[in-house]
Amino acid sequence: MIKYLLKRLFWMVPLLVGISLISFLIMHLAPGDITTTEAGFNPKASQESRQKLREMYNLDKPLLVQYGLWLERMSTLDFGRSFASHQRPVFWEVTDDKGNVTPGLIQEALPITLLINMLSLGLIIIVALPLGIISALTQNRLPDRSITLFVFIGFAIPGFWLALILMYWTGVVHDWLPISGLHSLGFERMPWWGQMLDSMRHLALPVFVSALSGLAGISLFVRNGMLEVLHQDFVTTARAKGLPESAVVFRHALRNALLPLITLLGLAIPGLIGGSVIAESIFAIPGMGKLFYDAVLMRDFPVIMGILTIGSALTLLGNLLADLAYAWADPRIRRGVMQ
Amino acid sequence: MFAAALRHSALPLRLLLASLLLLAACSKPPTETASPDYGQTFAPEPGGTLISATIAEPSGLIPMIAGEAAASAIASNIFNTLLKYDKNLELTGELAQSWKVSPDQKTITFHLKPGMQWADGAPLTSADVLFTWKVVTDDKTRTPYGADFKLVVQAEAPDPLTFRVTYPQPYAPALDSWAGLQILPQHLLKDEDINTTAFARNPVGSSYYQLESWRHGESISLVRNAKSTQGQAMIQRLISRSIPDTATQFLELLANNIDYMGLDPVQYARVFPSRPDLSKKIALYKELGNNYTYMGFNLKHKPFDDIRVRKAINYAVDKQELIDGVLLGLGEPVASPYKPGTRWANPELKPYPYDPEKARELLRSAGFEDHDNDGILDRNGKPFSFEILTNNGNKQRELSAVLVQRRLKEIGIDASIRKVEWASFIERFIKTGDFDVVVLGWSLALDPDQYSIWHSSQQAPGQFNFIGYNNPHVDKLLEQGRLELNPDKRMKIYHEFAKILLEDSPIVYLYAGYGLPAIHKRVKGIDNPAPPAGIGHNSYDWYIPAPLRRKEITP
Amino acid sequence: MKQTLTKAFSNPLALIGFFIIATIMLLALFAPLIAPYDPDAIDVKAILLSPSAVHYMGTDGLGRDVFSRMLFGARISLLVGIVAVGIATAIGVVLGAIAGYYRGWVDVFIMRTVDVMLSIPTFFLILAVIAFLTPSIWNIMIVIGLTSWMGVTRLVRAEFLSLRNREFVMASQTLGARDARLIFTHLLPNSLTPVIVSSVLGVASAVLVESGLSFLGLGVQAPQASWGNILTDGKEYIQFAWWLSLFPGLAILITVLGYNLLGEGLRDVFDPRTSKNKL
Repeated sequence: MIKYLLKRLFWMVPLLVGISLISFLIMHLAPGDITTTEAGFNPKASQESRQKLREMYNLDKPLLVQYGLWLERMSTLDFGRSFASHQRPVFWEVTDDKGNVTPGLIQEALPITLLINMLSLGLIIIVALPLGIISALTQNRLPDRSITLFVFIGFAIPGFWLALILMYWTGVVHDWLPISGLHSLGFERMPWWGQMLDSMRHLALPVFVSALSGLAGISLFVRNGMLEVLHQDFVTTARAKGLPESAVVFRHALRNALLPLITLLGLAIPGLIGGSVIAESIFAIPGMGKLFYDAVLMRDFPVIMGILTIGSALTLLGNLLADLAYAWADPRIRRGVMQ
Repeated sequence: MFAAALRHSALPLRLLLASLLLLAACSKPPTETASPDYGQTFAPEPGGTLISATIAEPSGLIPMIAGEAAASAIASNIFNTLLKYDKNLELTGELAQSWKVSPDQKTITFHLKPGMQWADGAPLTSADVLFTWKVVTDDKTRTPYGADFKLVVQAEAPDPLTFRVTYPQPYAPALDSWAGLQILPQHLLKDEDINTTAFARNPVGSSYYQLESWRHGESISLVRNAKSTQGQAMIQRLISRSIPDTATQFLELLANNIDYMGLDPVQYARVFPSRPDLSKKIALYKELGNNYTYMGFNLKHKPFDDIRVRKAINYAVDKQELIDGVLLGLGEPVASPYKPGTRWANPELKPYPYDPEKARELLRSAGFEDHDNDGILDRNGKPFSFEILTNNGNKQRELSAVLVQRRLKEIGIDASIRKVEWASFIERFIKTGDFDVVVLGWSLALDPDQYSIWHSSQQAPGQFNFIGYNNPHVDKLLEQGRLELNPDKRMKIYHEFAKILLEDSPIVYLYAGYGLPAIHKRVKGIDNPAPPAGIGHNSYDWYIPAPLRRKEITP
Repeated sequence: MKQTLTKAFSNPLALIGFFIIATIMLLALFAPLIAPYDPDAIDVKAILLSPSAVHYMGTDGLGRDVFSRMLFGARISLLVGIVAVGIATAIGVVLGAIAGYYRGWVDVFIMRTVDVMLSIPTFFLILAVIAFLTPSIWNIMIVIGLTSWMGVTRLVRAEFLSLRNREFVMASQTLGARDARLIFTHLLPNSLTPVIVSSVLGVASAVLVESGLSFLGLGVQAPQASWGNILTDGKEYIQFAWWLSLFPGLAILITVLGYNLLGEGLRDVFDPRTSKNKL
């Protein structure tokens, strides 16, 4: 077990280097840099001003040197400062000598994205589990078919289309939910329970729309997992022993079917951190997706690198945790029989 | 037990959804059933909140550093400049109460208004102006706007109310540049690094508003500045919400959550007329901005170096069709690189009419005919085909390119369209000169000087004369225009400049589109029709009567 | 074989999926014959007309007939899906086969690369690359293909790993069969069923990704019509020009649904473990 853990951690380092190298190269595929976008086409911005800007940002040095400089800073977890946002720190806040705190970009965007994605994942699981179970138990009959159809429709609807329709219906035609944003104006003056309610109302649509497309994957997974387990010998044995159906389903089949779900959740982790660019744009949510998209358009290299690296690191960590959780949960592995 | 569950297989989901909606619906305070009559007139009174939306959040609120439109829109409410433009686009004083140009036209002396204060109570004097000038011309400052101010050879503040600058030779655009430099407080910034200071997120200014709060990525809230050097604005609070998608912005406008939005022609001319209920609460305005859209030729590439070819294409493009199709009629044709109706636009010039026959004739005289009968003109065995480049994200330019492509096809020119993302566009095509034709726009300053766009010395990679225009007569006119401070003489210079430009046809003027703001009717005091400076010229006098204000949560 | 077909046809959802896809493919194939107008025919006097007998699905912002554009858009959406998946499958099968057959450090290297690619959020990667290159239909297909091969690699490798220890493989090896022959005639054909399922599902995802890219302005370029860009052009006026949103939205929905139903149906058919009649 410990050996396994150490081996995995050891592998993470070259993986991270590989990821950062790929990201760096892709970014520099792109023609143009921050001076192009910021002062690019403003007749008031002169050529020498722009050249000075390039020098200050180190953009005129060769690629390898730039990567080296970046890696050097990264080793101290200093992701640098954003080119485009007036030198705001990419990752964590910085306090200057006067005590003014400048919040970091990722520091602000990540919690929002994580919150929405976790709520969404939570909603998916709450809904997908019963759907999957019912599907498995009624295999090939009407409930199974209609659930399958329903979750597939959920997957197939283009998210931004559904979002706009729902926003129009719930926000313009009726006054049920806010249309966009995270907080109402006057949020600071609400009592704590008012604030909670306000946040929930703002998150309802984004969470719903992202959950809808994820339903299909998990409910089908649960269904197939259950079916596989239900057809195994030990289930037949349990039934032959005369156990009531509910015990068979819940105590035996379900627990075995759920184990791989942990791994699946592990695979869902990159999605947790890579916020959806489109949903955040439509709902005006300042999360990781929007941060990344803006950085791409502005050629804000430190931010792009920061997001890709942190995102990937968290993903690798998440996968590791998921594997560990699986290894712990599955008695076969825990007792060192398999693997 | 299971049979029952199966029958209601979607029950858990339905329950969940229903409870979510129920929760949401029940928890809102009861809304007004009847909305107030927004058409009524009211007397002006201070107070209220105006909410607008922006596509991109400013990166910081120090205008010389931030540079983008979103930043200057908000910062202009916080900071003042020495001079400003009045409703008729004439220069008048903002921080300066008067100014004098020396007889040799090289020195400008500004006299500041007495008794001015910053929002934190510190006095605002010429020392602040001098300080700001030093910062903008400092090489370490990451600003692209230093060029105009670096021309100053001597800047001094002989007393707290006087600021004097001296140029090596008369510089006509000087006054316009001083109408664009926002003055910063020396007492707060003198020990700071302007590029990284926290002041950018917490600015202190001298104008009508000051920053109240900034929720990053969500909204910026400005509140009235009691110590404003310009008097008091009527509206108490300005809130700018960050909403990146225009479809979402429009929904927010319809739902009364924002008060101000720039519409596109379809929303203005088709959506609103189809919904009479909207006109009860939202008013539409039309104003001509200081920009134009054009099709530019790379004058260094054949065959665009041939004036007959350029004129032919100019005749082949139906500009009225562009205005009707792309702008739904909401724009004006342009024949000079200036805003129609201003003194700098030459009233005698008329755009090239739509004349495909003449186009074909001109092309024939340049050697282009359809020798192989494939529908495409050719010369020396090579077909006349090229790529029209335009930037991503601008629907109007894209639609314009499509219409132009069609008209060109009709006279036998094969044009294809390529949309490129902005940074790539500049780096890979414009700077390298690797393009044939572009569809772009110019957003102009109010000063008529266009030296950086048309002078033959401005053709280096990264400079603005990227089409490669080279006309010695025009060069001389542009140089003269910078030296001539007399407005009437300047006007003649630029009129002649525009005339030559139209004759040379290095670009095809497509149109100047109207700005189409939609403003909620609760906002009163708007000048309609808009004066030359636009409806926003008196935005500080707009007011929102108490009965029409939003219900706000008060502390 | 007969058993497989019977099984396939007994699944009504898979049948629905099959018919949906067949219909869309036929419509796309015969688009030039069916379309009443030239999809690029501009008419500035007919801008944004609602559906009528003259224009079945109304007209768009330049007066072009939406129905005709939808038909040609079907070609684009299908083309993007199929080519992208083709690229991904080709890469995935080759890499998975090599990793699964040869094992050793080749396997380790390939699988680590898979891990690296899987750790980077895919949409971000696609977004960055397309934004940096020029958005064009070929770039889109290639980039989607280059970012979706990882799943196929794992599937093929897993199949190879489980097959290579079977007796028929060892028997062939003892008889002196060369690697290539083994791979191509024995291992690959038996590994293909999960690949087929994954490809069908992959087309569905590719169609959705293209529509997402169109929303961001990075999809198929004007004046070419794609369902994604017709939808995006009308997003500012969904309540007014509802036809610009409804028809492409439904088209994407139905097509993706069709592919998913077919793919899952095939998976049910090929996977003996979920068969109900196991006992």
